Amino acid sequence: MAKPPPITNRIRELREQHGPMSQSALAEAIGVTRQTVIAIELGKYSPSLESAFRIARVFDLGVEDVFGWEA
Amino acid sequence: MSPAATFRNTPFREKTAWAMAAILTGGAAFYLNMVISASRALGQTAPPIVGFVIGYVVVIVIASSVVMAALALATPREANAPADEREKIIGDKAGNWSGYVMVMPALGALWHYAVNMDGNMLFHLVFLSLMLGQIAEYVFQIVLYRRGG
Repeated sequence: MAKPPPITNRIRELREQHGPMSQSALAEAIGVTRQTVIAIELGKYSPSLESAFRIARVFDLGVEDVFGWEA
Repeated sequence: MSPAATFRNTPFREKTAWAMAAILTGGAAFYLNMVISASRALGQTAPPIVGFVIGYVVVIVIASSVVMAALALATPREANAPADEREKIIGDKAGNWSGYVMVMPALGALWHYAVNMDGNMLFHLVFLSLMLGQIAEYVFQIVLYRRGG
């Protein structure tokens, strides 16, 4: 099994603060499938830079407020 | 999780990969069984019957189309959506890895031909290599979808 990428995110927490916003709604807003949002949230998939920016914009935050690098 | 919920939560492309892997595995098993039975009856490697191979390919194509259409009707929105970035990466990786799976038995088939000069066996092994490569592509897709990407 491949080691998960050392990128952390606060997407689940941010979704809950915004509504809560469903995974499907976020997926639609950034143009990916719900399964991709799930994979990103679980840290199994690192989104492209474009998707990372799109996610951050949905929450009106900067990319670094949503994503982090595991120390 | 209920089977209906599992079906709902599975991405469209993973569902199609499951369906195609099942159809092709069944098809490959049928073909292999036919060749082995015919070869036993003849006492040597059965020659390829072009009509049978063409008919076989047509049946596989029709079966795939029917299953794909049924899946698309069940989830039309997902079926119409283009592959997203993760799905494209999964498709690329699976296609790349399956190439190796296809090449290995094909090389074995060439080696077998060079040693035994059995053109009939060469045909069947190359045909099976093509099927194996395609099955492997769908299996890799399923594994990658399950793993997250």
